[in-house]
Amino acid sequence: MDAAFEPKLVGFLCRWCTYQAADLAGVGRSRYPANLVPIRVMCSGRVDPLFLVRAFLKGADGVFVGGCHPGDCHYIEGNLRARRRFGVVQTVFSVLGLEPKRLRLAWISASEGPKFTAQMKDFDAAVKKLGKNTAAAEVFL
Amino acid sequence: MKGGQVDARGGIQAGITSFLKEALSKGCFDAVMIPTRVPAGDSFAWILTDNEDLVAGASPLPPVMPVQGARALSSITKKGKAPAKIAAVMRPCEVRAAVELGKLKQVDLANVTLLSMDCPGVLELSTYLSDPTKGDSEFSRLLDKWDAESLRPVCRSCTHFSATASDIHLGLLGAQAERLYVMPLTPEGSRVTDALNISADQELDSWQAKVDEVRQKREEQRRKSEVELKERVEGTEKLLATLSTCIGCRNCMRVCPICYCRQCFFDSDALEGEVAAHLSRAERKGSLRFPLDTLLFHLGRMSHMSLSCVECGTCEDACPMSIPVGQIFSHVARRTQELFKYDPGKNRYEPLPLVTYEQDELHDFEQPYVKTYSGKGAADA
Ligand code: SF4
Ligand code: SF4
Ligand code: SF4
Ligand code: FES
Repeated sequence: MDAAFEPKLVGFLCRWCTYQAADLAGVGRSRYPANLVPIRVMCSGRVDPLFLVRAFLKGADGVFVGGCHPGDCHYIEGNLRARRRFGVVQTVFSVLGLEPKRLRLAWISASEGPKFTAQMKDFDAAVKKLGKNTAAAEVFL
Repeated sequence: MKGGQVDARGGIQAGITSFLKEALSKGCFDAVMIPTRVPAGDSFAWILTDNEDLVAGASPLPPVMPVQGARALSSITKKGKAPAKIAAVMRPCEVRAAVELGKLKQVDLANVTLLSMDCPGVLELSTYLSDPTKGDSEFSRLLDKWDAESLRPVCRSCTHFSATASDIHLGLLGAQAERLYVMPLTPEGSRVTDALNISADQELDSWQAKVDEVRQKREEQRRKSEVELKERVEGTEKLLATLSTCIGCRNCMRVCPICYCRQCFFDSDALEGEVAAHLSRAERKGSLRFPLDTLLFHLGRMSHMSLSCVECGTCEDACPMSIPVGQIFSHVARRTQELFKYDPGKNRYEPLPLVTYEQDELHDFEQPYVKTYSGKGAADA
């Protein structure tokens, strides 16, 4: 593994929970990896499968989806929908041998700032192990 | 399975059409949607007709599938319930797609009687077109022998070739010479068999045995071809190599019965980037193929519609570059459908997996609570 390798991470974060947790982590002392590009969405249910596929094909080394815990979604079932869609995309990736571990879904509430940081560090480490996303260098995408 | 029998002295196709003709004359339905040979003689198209002679001359089991039947049915009933009763005569994969389109509100099944039959498969469209006469005789041979070599790859390993969510299923397998089995599968189906005085109380053991036998062969074939397919698609490099000849014509999407979105994302300008962005992306990579997004198109389509993919292979038939799109989609679809134990087209009343959710499910896809955060450990992790 290339020690200097800094993965590029993209996070689709629900504005009611995970995005706020990220904020909290930012103002608190538990800093999350600076290589995460957070993208605020109204609800994890807004995350179309294409968001994930596109981020991956554009070269993101890891793509994260963060939503409210089941039962806490502001739109009732948005996160349950997100989980089903995520399951489909990750299965497509597994079947085709496209490194499904580059995609990650987790539930993090607004108050769980440290948990957000821990989750991101863990993801960062997991992605480092996988190395660079080869799609980033592919010409014939 | 229980059912009755009808006469098929003039052959299987004639047996089916004479059954339909009689049902039409007795008022079981007002019109029939059925494939028929085009005037030029070298292909088949769907017609909607109440003319008994046209029904008698139709081809309920054509050797090819130029237009997926569910698409034809959708073009008739997309805007609502038919004012008169239509019998749609389709292959099992077409019936299954029609059921999925019913759930997606692209077909209204309210006044439609679905008729299916055991399907030996179809020939590749391009092969058939290169010599229709040869294709016709090969297909009659297939109807008799039920072997698979000359079929499209998707049909060779199709395990949904028999009774499905239709109202009436016509059994060709295991029937005595010059007979067909008729199986009413719903109250609507029984309404038709009753009107025709077909007593449907016979146990169809010989049909069942034959269906099982063919299914076993197809399952075996499926296992074999999946091993070969994996060799061609597993991993970014192989997948790209297999899809690299794609010319982006989107035929596969346009002929697919399940892809119905009026404003498809891939036709929208959501994908159009700024010139400068393209240049800098190409520069970063050293070089980049344009137009962009071949893989995004295929992976995106799989993520959007594979739960309802009925593995009909229409996409593959329509691909000018001979990419095994249908085989790839069917391979992926089996796995995504397995997630929800969903069998598309099997049950009209079972909701689509993406409109119903459970609180407690799919935990394998969630990243569990990461415990390393507390205290110093996290800072150095
Ligand atoms: S996929 Fe082929 S064999 Fe299966 S039902 Fe359709 S046409 Fe028949
Ligand atoms: S993706 Fe291909 S095999 Fe699947 S339903 Fe559409 S046309 Fe049929
Ligand atoms: S039909 Fe074939 S060439 Fe056309 S977009 Fe689909 S896979 Fe590509
Ligand atoms: S509102 Fe947070 S996941 Fe739906």
